[in-house]
Amino acid sequence: MSAARASFRTRAGGFPAAPVLGLLALLFLTAPFAALAFATEWRRFHFISGDFDAAFVSVALSLLALPIIAAFGTPLAWWLARREFRWKWLIDAAVLLPLLTPPLALGILLASLYGPYGPAGALLERVGLVLTNTAPAFVLAQIYGAMPYYVITARAAFESVPRELEDLALTLGKERWQVFLEVSLPLARLGLAAGLALAWVRALGEFGIVLITAYFPHGIPVKLWVNLEDTGLSAVYPLLWLFFLVAMPLPLWLGMVSRRRGIF
Amino acid sequence: MEIAYRLDRPLPIEARLTVAGFTVLAGASGEGKTSLLKAIAGLLPAEGEPFGGLPPQRRPVGYLPQGYALFPHLLAWENVAFALPRGRGRRERALALMARLGVAGLAERLPQALSGGQQQRVALARALARDPELLLLDEPTSALDPATRDAVLGELIEEIRRIGLPTLAVTHDVHLAAMADRMALLVGRRIVQQGTPRQVFAAPVDSRAARLLGYRNLLTGTVDSLAAGFALVALDGLRLAAPAPPWAARGMRVGIAIRSEDISLVETGAAPADANALERIALALTLTEVREEGLALRLAAHGSVALDILLPRGAAGSGLSAGARVLALIRPEHVHLFRAEIVPGIMHG
Repeated sequence: MSAARASFRTRAGGFPAAPVLGLLALLFLTAPFAALAFATEWRRFHFISGDFDAAFVSVALSLLALPIIAAFGTPLAWWLARREFRWKWLIDAAVLLPLLTPPLALGILLASLYGPYGPAGALLERVGLVLTNTAPAFVLAQIYGAMPYYVITARAAFESVPRELEDLALTLGKERWQVFLEVSLPLARLGLAAGLALAWVRALGEFGIVLITAYFPHGIPVKLWVNLEDTGLSAVYPLLWLFFLVAMPLPLWLGMVSRRRGIF
Repeated sequence: MEIAYRLDRPLPIEARLTVAGFTVLAGASGEGKTSLLKAIAGLLPAEGEPFGGLPPQRRPVGYLPQGYALFPHLLAWENVAFALPRGRGRRERALALMARLGVAGLAERLPQALSGGQQQRVALARALARDPELLLLDEPTSALDPATRDAVLGELIEEIRRIGLPTLAVTHDVHLAAMADRMALLVGRRIVQQGTPRQVFAAPVDSRAARLLGYRNLLTGTVDSLAAGFALVALDGLRLAAPAPPWAARGMRVGIAIRSEDISLVETGAAPADANALERIALALTLTEVREEGLALRLAAHGSVALDILLPRGAAGSGLSAGARVLALIRPEHVHLFRAEIVPGIMHG
């Protein structure tokens, strides 16, 4: 007994560098934000015209993009997690493509597809949907920037659900869609929530694609750029604080509720 | 209930058997027992009756996989209620089922807070909620605590008998088969034998079935003569008497199976001779190995044949050590003959 406990202790402490390295990584990742606290001129802290509009645009349009990402990304993730077919690696590559493409380049590609002279853009303009420098264009850019992250995370979440439990639910008389809602979705909820949180922060922080296709209306990332160009650093830091204030609650809330039982 | 199923993937299996009461299908691992159950539950593509062609959700089958697969995100009673329609009285019906299986007190627990036996009962209650016509159990002993396994399983079998639901349990553990109403043996991915445990245990059809049934002494010989329902089988210069199966004929090569625990010993000082009569077979042997096996003793003995012997505690000869000369006694009715396989010799293992 005591020998077993001793060997356990050795094993637990067998890699003393791990906590140190972990702490270093954490310091490294958070250092810029500590610097922000020092760099901010708190006595002259003020927002400039358009900052709150940008925050509203960012939050409101991201909240529009998120359900669209979930509604279309979840079935795709499920399909990739549960179906085996010959050319699946091609689909995998296709999902990665928007991630791989430099954001600025993706923005240019979107402009040439959905812009006024693009094939899709010309068609959509006829039904009144303008996808350049409009709110829909902003949402479109966010979806392209964030959906691949959601699909990849959600797919891993679905793959982690034991197939046996889904099979068993079938033998208990449930239809496949009921199995999805009552077994797969609740069991994947941690990963799905993480995917949503990731998609949210990606959508909010999206700059490169938005810069090309939806310079207007200004969201926070573009407004940060404009503030830097027009006013200087003193106008950047307050807006950045505002950004953190509006961006953080949703991922934190998602993390909390997904750990609770029976949210679905 | 007659079950006839054939599947090609993941393994080619063909199985025809009768399920009545608590029926156990025993087979070594790798025989495809789990695949067969999944096929009957509709989870693997297969042809067969009953339920052939129906999707799993339409089959009136209660399936308990190995490990029971309780839903980890649902409380015990919610697991039981899973198959019940939503609405009023759902919880009450689930609790009534749990009460019937003696687990109503665990209703508010999550599956991970239950012991193996408790999980089994909750899983059984969940399967019963659907009013199945057939219950399928995959290795029902595997997730049970070895100390209480037999008791827990005995109660489970009693419960299933009381409910009166035909049940097919698959296992590699013939010990479980011995407790069943009926049993069948899956050897070479086919059912080679079925009947009551008494019938099957007493008449293994070949050496693989015999091994599966726990026979450790497998020999080959030739039928020398037949008389008064007994056969005299010659092997290595000695002759053994055994009840004659109906197919036995003079000159036929046969396999011989003897259980280790069916052999008793008499200590002898001098070198005795082999003797053989219809009342008893006596073989003069020398002990080569003596090993404790729990409270019993496992012996290896050599002479005109090599035998594996299991002596219960206190039996004659249990004070002996290797090198001792003994007389091994076997009652002829405990010697079982089966048709020898095409390739003899593999039985001298």
